[in-house]
Amino acid sequence: MTDRPILNVWRAEHQYGTRKVLRGIDLALRPGEIYALLGPNGAGKSTLVGAICGRLKLSGGEIAINGEDPFTTASARASLGLVPQEIALYGHLTVRENLETFGRLAGVKGKALREAVQRALLLTRTVDRENVPVKHLSGGYKRRVNIGAAIMHRPALLILDEPTVGVDQDAREALDTVIRNLRDTGVSVLIVTHDLEQAGGLADRVGFLREGRKIMEGAPRALIEQAFGQEMEILVHLTLEPDSAGEILMAGEGLERQGRTSVWSKLDPGGYATAGRLDTRLRRAGLEPREIRVRQPSLQNLFALVADWSRAA
Amino acid sequence: MTFAMFRVMALELWRDRGALVMTFLLPPLVFLIFSAVFSGATGEDIKLKLAVADEARTVDSRRLLSALVTDADLRADDVASGDEVRRLVRAGRADAGLIIRADPGLETRPVLIVSDASRAVAAPLTMARVQQAMGRVMPDVLLARTLAETAPSFGGLTPRQQANAARTLDALAKAPPTGEARTGLFAREDIAGARKGGGTIAYYAGAVTILFALFSAMQGALSLIDERRSGVADRILAGAAGMGPVINGKFVFLLGQGLLQAIAIFATAQVIYQVPVLGHLPMWLVTTLLVAACAAGLAMAIVTFCKTREQAQMLSTFVILILAAVGGSMVPRFLMPPWLQTLGWGTPHAWAIEAYQAILWRDGGIGSVYMAWIVLGGVGAAGLVLAHLAARRIR
Repeated sequence: MTDRPILNVWRAEHQYGTRKVLRGIDLALRPGEIYALLGPNGAGKSTLVGAICGRLKLSGGEIAINGEDPFTTASARASLGLVPQEIALYGHLTVRENLETFGRLAGVKGKALREAVQRALLLTRTVDRENVPVKHLSGGYKRRVNIGAAIMHRPALLILDEPTVGVDQDAREALDTVIRNLRDTGVSVLIVTHDLEQAGGLADRVGFLREGRKIMEGAPRALIEQAFGQEMEILVHLTLEPDSAGEILMAGEGLERQGRTSVWSKLDPGGYATAGRLDTRLRRAGLEPREIRVRQPSLQNLFALVADWSRAA
Repeated sequence: MTFAMFRVMALELWRDRGALVMTFLLPPLVFLIFSAVFSGATGEDIKLKLAVADEARTVDSRRLLSALVTDADLRADDVASGDEVRRLVRAGRADAGLIIRADPGLETRPVLIVSDASRAVAAPLTMARVQQAMGRVMPDVLLARTLAETAPSFGGLTPRQQANAARTLDALAKAPPTGEARTGLFAREDIAGARKGGGTIAYYAGAVTILFALFSAMQGALSLIDERRSGVADRILAGAAGMGPVINGKFVFLLGQGLLQAIAIFATAQVIYQVPVLGHLPMWLVTTLLVAACAAGLAMAIVTFCKTREQAQMLSTFVILILAAVGGSMVPRFLMPPWLQTLGWGTPHAWAIEAYQAILWRDGGIGSVYMAWIVLGGVGAAGLVLAHLAARRIR
């Protein structure tokens, strides 16, 4: 991995009318690095990606891909491949025909095109489906071909917009493998996602955007350790729904319900010892825990924490 | 890159067998239906449905009734009364009604035509048919009416003349002359080798060709919106080439599609109606390529200016219907009011139809179609340029 970034974003600012959506974002992506851009809806992720793809002119700041402005320079755009959130393929065409089409549209032809198709089939692990029309593929295969179509011209920078939408766990793991394969060939990967689990397991670095600002950036494990120190996440899965007294007890123990599920959680430096004491107290109070688990905090916890900080600020 | 998009469009159509069949079988089918409908409506085969009541019940009124009921150019029904005639016309079960209310030989107006304003053309056609029937089957009555109307102008007939007239009328009543009347006002000559119905057929082959070229081009161009919706356009726009090759590829495909549709339509016209396409192949081919280019350019321009499929579908439906109606793809322009005929020249349909008729019906040369070629080619080129300009806004 060299230190010279393939993508550089300096003080990116943009506004639609009077509404500021980017407020001075910096970002640098090195060759062979996987970077996950995280943030809630309206954080400015799509606008930033649009600017990186050369599709909108920033109100302020600069973007460079291999040192060139993607808005004004076609060769800068030729260095990137975009994998849209939608399955941006032609359904009646086979996998191979789709790859050929997007290769030709990216200016690849002749022998280079044949080689690029073969390479994309191998990297995305779709060789066994090359002659199947895309409309007959499973969701996971479609996602992989969606990536394959974006790498036909060997881009130095690959941008994936929500690559795991609508795919099951197996398909997600297969996608992660494809993305790691690409990273291993030296491609820089920028993933825009809500899938914090994928980001935590895959990305070398993550960046949190909120209200047009980058509020945190770094390696996932380092950020988690920095934010939570020795704290562990304790998850309590109750068999029965607690009554109001039970809910007061759970809150008194510092447990918070996760959404509308029957799972309650808290962060605690005591880890397994705290979990054991909690189990005893809950059973004594008549609340039957089906399962109590202890695990390292995840990006999900960090994301929630960052959101709390932001709200407090 | 242009070829890549052409190939995508061709493969997508080839593999969607339903769309493929509709694209190339529907146009000749619609052409056959249109030509059958309109050659019947504007040609010589109109057979009015008449309701006829004989309230006079004289010898001559019965002769007239019998002549009308047996007339092969009419579908006349003998009904019981004038009120029944009116009821049938009001109900739309007869195009017009005829009440023979006095002896046809009398000087008064013995025949009443009952017509519905929504089928106004039926009344004069009925009059003409009755005149024809009387002239053919009961010329004695017509002559008697003429004598009665004209004799006073000459101071009346002498007894000898009256006797001669009576003999003539009697002879005519017994043996009406066959063939064309020698004293008739009109003779008729059909132009252009008198290929029966061919003019109407050539007209509708052209009319359906431009109609379907535009219709199919709109459907094909709509794929541009689908590509924006599916993210394909995002993927392409993120690259170096932009939308230019996509627009060009689609244009070339739509041009080819329009050409194949025209071949299907005119091959049908040649085989079934002997419209002489093969005899005018070079001129036909140039016209057809320009018609297809015009439709492709127009469709691309309209679709690139729309942001959603719903917008594009509404606008394209509106444009297709209005241009087809005003341009003469539905009703022949010569039947339209003069101002609408003039307005029709603002549509590519009128120029396309005119060019095909000039070539296939009037055996015209380049001098008779060059203006149509300029208009059709110009609209196609302008559409393509506009599509490219509009596509630049898509970022």
